[in-house]
Amino acid sequence: MRKSLLGLGAACAMFALTGAAAAETVKVGMIGVFSGGFAIWGEQFQRSIQAFQKVNGDSVKGNKIEVIYRDVGGPNPAKSKQLAEELILRDKIKFLTGFAFTPNALAVADVVTEAKIPTVILNAATSVITRRSPMFVRVSMTLPQQTGPLGQWAAAKGYKKIYTLVSDYGPGHDAELQFVKSFKAAGGEIINSVRVPLATTDFAPYFENVLQAKPDAMFLFMPAGPPSIGAIDTWAKRGLKAAGIPLLCTGETQEIYLPAIGDIALDVISASHYGTEVDTPENTALKKALTDMFGPNSIPDIASVAAWDGMRLIYDAVEALGPNAPGEKYIDFMKGRKMKSPRGPIEIDAVERDIIQNVYIRRVVRKDGKLVNATIDTILAVKDPWKLDNPAAK
Amino acid sequence: MARVATILLDGIAYGMILFIISVGLTVTMGLMRVVNLAHGAFAMVGGYVAAVMTEAGHDFFLSAAAGAAAAGIFGGVAEMTVYRPLYRKGELAQVLLTIGLVFVSIAALTLVFGVNYKTVKMPAFLEDPISIGFRLYPPYRLFLIAVGLVMAFLLWLLIDRTLFGARLRAAVDNPRMARAVGINVNRLFTITFIGGSALAGFGGAIGAGMLPLEAFYPLRYLVLFLIVVIVGGEGSFKGSFVAALALGIIDTTGKFIIPEVASFLLYTVVLALLLWRPHGLLPPKSVA
Repeated sequence: MRKSLLGLGAACAMFALTGAAAAETVKVGMIGVFSGGFAIWGEQFQRSIQAFQKVNGDSVKGNKIEVIYRDVGGPNPAKSKQLAEELILRDKIKFLTGFAFTPNALAVADVVTEAKIPTVILNAATSVITRRSPMFVRVSMTLPQQTGPLGQWAAAKGYKKIYTLVSDYGPGHDAELQFVKSFKAAGGEIINSVRVPLATTDFAPYFENVLQAKPDAMFLFMPAGPPSIGAIDTWAKRGLKAAGIPLLCTGETQEIYLPAIGDIALDVISASHYGTEVDTPENTALKKALTDMFGPNSIPDIASVAAWDGMRLIYDAVEALGPNAPGEKYIDFMKGRKMKSPRGPIEIDAVERDIIQNVYIRRVVRKDGKLVNATIDTILAVKDPWKLDNPAAK
Repeated sequence: MARVATILLDGIAYGMILFIISVGLTVTMGLMRVVNLAHGAFAMVGGYVAAVMTEAGHDFFLSAAAGAAAAGIFGGVAEMTVYRPLYRKGELAQVLLTIGLVFVSIAALTLVFGVNYKTVKMPAFLEDPISIGFRLYPPYRLFLIAVGLVMAFLLWLLIDRTLFGARLRAAVDNPRMARAVGINVNRLFTITFIGGSALAGFGGAIGAGMLPLEAFYPLRYLVLFLIVVIVGGEGSFKGSFVAALALGIIDTTGKFIIPEVASFLLYTVVLALLLWRPHGLLPPKSVA
């Protein structure tokens, strides 16, 4: 009896050894913001990745996919670069992902190019990023990709005169530039473009000027948080809404922010590539996975959907090429790849390695007691217009 | 004319909320000579308490009162434990400790409420624009102006017309002499600190419609609060009233007429004012 048990144990041990030799652990480094004022980004990335791994399993063809999370703390390029080096040299990662902020993504360009580590960018939305390293692939968006279609849509909708109001910083300028360009190209007139300091707390005077200029609609771009809440609040309470001046914006009305903005957000129109109301089976699966794991209040946002698709891309690459392919091969595999995302069909641009996706024009409505963005129009397969306009820019 | 009236109303409403929140800070900085960078934290505590209560369905005014009470209690505890040992220390120690208090409060609120934003639900009659003769106007701003005026009047009564106020003014002007004539200056400070914190909490609660609540609140608005106190003259209640209104009106007018330079117009004016009157507009006797 004793002997046979020992024999069984030995057999088990041998099986375990051979098993370990066949299957590899593929490490994925994830540089996100998990502390400070932007910690919501890291939390949304991580939750989505964990939910994805729960639904799809944590291994691909027997190869375990292990995600190593690192906290960069905020927009901090030096820290981002240092974390990338550590992940590559010490943890021997095969893939890198994460990056909420542009400076953090740009900072690792040289490192991942040299080490040939495929890097899937989950947010950092400045157009030029993917041209800074052949190892970059982006599954989020760019601002021109949203404000360009919004400008065309506004012109098609019959708005003749538009007033633009944006925060005075890089993304605000990008958003304004493409909106103005598309709207003018479609025959519209921009009656004024005003840039608001980032530190603005009282928006009343700016909106008062808009009210008196009597535009057909206004375009707004503000960073999430107090600026966008304050601006939408002023728009509603100052009588612009009552005066029939529609508010056009982008990500300000994401469903995660709507509870804090409240009913004043009703009727705000926005352009975005993702919202909880996008009607695809994949979106239903994403929402279910998140609520099953983190409770009914876990609302997906653009960070969640990017992390979900980023993991899908990495899983598919490992499934097709195995755990030990060279970095460039993984990138070649990802180029031109089409996938079904919770946000609808997406494609990785074979040349630019940037995402091609639908842009939805939505309106904030109340549905089942909750504020959500209802899709009112869809612009199919939008490429980043900035790259089309600037073919040589690096 | 309608334009000018609108700018004035907007500016005064903005100034009033700055006044209600900052007047407590003038107490700590002027009376106790403590560089209190954590003042915004008291406003934030009041705001969060009110936000949580209105979310649970309580009345807005009750919630604002509860916010004020919570901030007052928090202020009282902080004064007796953290601030009192600081009175005799140098300014560097005060700056370090109070900014540390800000970070602690930011981290604590993030831990409890997460990094998302909180709103204080206003009653319906403050939400929908009403007609004020020449235009539709947000009633919320008229409400802020009314509350600010009432608060300023009550404070004036308290400080100019009561024995408590006389003692307070004496302690500001000359703390040693006040002690010598038998005024319990320590107790006076504790009471004023609690009052100032409660006012900040009240301001944080009713002002949430204009200064949105989030964990970084005490840092985001710190500079505004400090400007009101410094421009008004440390320790001067009338000064901070005048300064808050002036800043509100200047800032609003600047944004309205020349939005391109509005961001530094305010600071330029403050710089000029301080070059002209380094101790503020209406400094108390001790520093004038």
